[in-house]
Amino acid sequence: MNMFDGFRFRRVSSPIHDMDPRVKFLYVLVIFAAAVLFDQLLPLLVLFVAQMPLILVAGVKRECMRSMRGSSLFAVIIFATNMLSLYLYSGGGYGSIPSIIERSLAMTFRFMVLVESFSIFFLTTSPDHLGLALEQSGVPFDLCFAFTTAIRFVPVMAEEAQTIIDAQKARGLELERGNFIRRVKNYVPVLIPLLVNSIRRSLELAEAMESRAWGASPKRTNLYVLKMKRSDYYMIITSLIILVLAAYIRLYISIPSIYELLSA
Amino acid sequence: MEIIRTEDLTYTYPISSKPAFRDVSITIDKGEFVLLTGPSGCGKTTLCRCFNGLIPHFYSGKLEGEIMVAGLRVPDHPIHELAQHVGLVFQNPENQLFALSVEKDVAFGLENLGLPRDEIRERVDWALKVTGIYDLKDRAPYELSGGQQQRVAIASILAMRPEVIVLDEPTSFLDPLGAQKIFEVIDRLNKRLGITIILVEHRLDLASKYADRVIIMNEGRVVLNGRPRDVFISDEAQLVGVGIPKATMLYKLLRENGIELGRVPITAEEASQMIREALTHDRG
Repeated sequence: MNMFDGFRFRRVSSPIHDMDPRVKFLYVLVIFAAAVLFDQLLPLLVLFVAQMPLILVAGVKRECMRSMRGSSLFAVIIFATNMLSLYLYSGGGYGSIPSIIERSLAMTFRFMVLVESFSIFFLTTSPDHLGLALEQSGVPFDLCFAFTTAIRFVPVMAEEAQTIIDAQKARGLELERGNFIRRVKNYVPVLIPLLVNSIRRSLELAEAMESRAWGASPKRTNLYVLKMKRSDYYMIITSLIILVLAAYIRLYISIPSIYELLSA
Repeated sequence: MEIIRTEDLTYTYPISSKPAFRDVSITIDKGEFVLLTGPSGCGKTTLCRCFNGLIPHFYSGKLEGEIMVAGLRVPDHPIHELAQHVGLVFQNPENQLFALSVEKDVAFGLENLGLPRDEIRERVDWALKVTGIYDLKDRAPYELSGGQQQRVAIASILAMRPEVIVLDEPTSFLDPLGAQKIFEVIDRLNKRLGITIILVEHRLDLASKYADRVIIMNEGRVVLNGRPRDVFISDEAQLVGVGIPKATMLYKLLRENGIELGRVPITAEEASQMIREALTHDRG
């Protein structure tokens, strides 16, 4: 089940993986803010390229490429709709075709920058760490537990779905037949056992949780604690500098368009 | 000293009209290794759920009679309190592990109890070592075999340091070798740490040699209760349809044909030993 591979988090160690998830989240927010601040191509390109070293340091180049490829369809749609709407409503300053293209590209790269930073976050943060970060940020434990348990059971459910599909196929179920609606309906004999099994599983889980003193103490301890390291503080400072710099450039410096630079 | 006592215990599930078991009166002593068996649907799983309070607290329904566990009347104490005295290991290892690493899973119960972090760390390491899975502590549950997962489940119960561990068919998802390893771990807990064990099991061939006592249930009642040899040799055990150890069956067959082995064997080793003795005796 390839599409669920993403949930089988591999434990790797890199400076980015070891970073506090809260710090990484701050970084994502800063990049998000910076990407929204600018609407010209040049700064967005800079943001896009500037994040690449992080991907290389984390060693998640291939996974990152995969998620970028996955979002390429959206990127094309964004580009096309921007082109179309700018062309139709070309009052204002976006008269010429090259500047329309540049602006549409800028919007596309804004999206790609977001995809890139979110990929870095999710590819380098283990679900365990994420749950822990939520917990230490004051999210109630019940919710954090539901979150990590959901992730824990994705591979199990995927395997179970495959077993049910195989079993139903052996009984003559044809999944790949008919038009779209027919195909969706074909999945009903797979979904019902999957649902029933999940309900049964959740009951068993609840029993097992009760048997391990769930809710015994209102003040639950946690085996692990997230602690900020020196490198985490550096990352916070870097993120804040990026934010301030981005705001400063946006307010006080006029950014040339790439088309103007090229034609000058 | 007794640790579990039931008197005329009868329980009916909420939607059922017929009791899952009735008039169960058993006493289990501290440090005993009890093997509980019987055909499917005889009520043994339901009985296990009473030991740590899942019945009547988690499942409603009607519980009549008396049940005392570690000096506590089960209906009067919440599950999380009883769970510190009686640990329950379930059939399906997959559905009793919640965390994304073995270590975190073993810590789960202790975290719930709100113990200090140092103590959790110490107990987790101890439980992992006793069950022989210390090397797996950073692995995710889905990376483990069924037998390893079941040992994680045992470790996570063990870490809570209960006096009694109840195992409900812990080997039914495992191959014979995995099952054998589980039995060895359980035996170690019983012999070395003095933990009372109640093992629900169908694989009597493998499990019988560890038990001090065998209880057989059928149709919601306890039909036999005693030393493994006495229970297995009785005609009732055969009638109920539990998988009596083959060594004991051989003994019975030989006896029917007029060959007396002297003692009742339970394991293949014992049987072969006795037959060898009988043969040399005959020749001499």
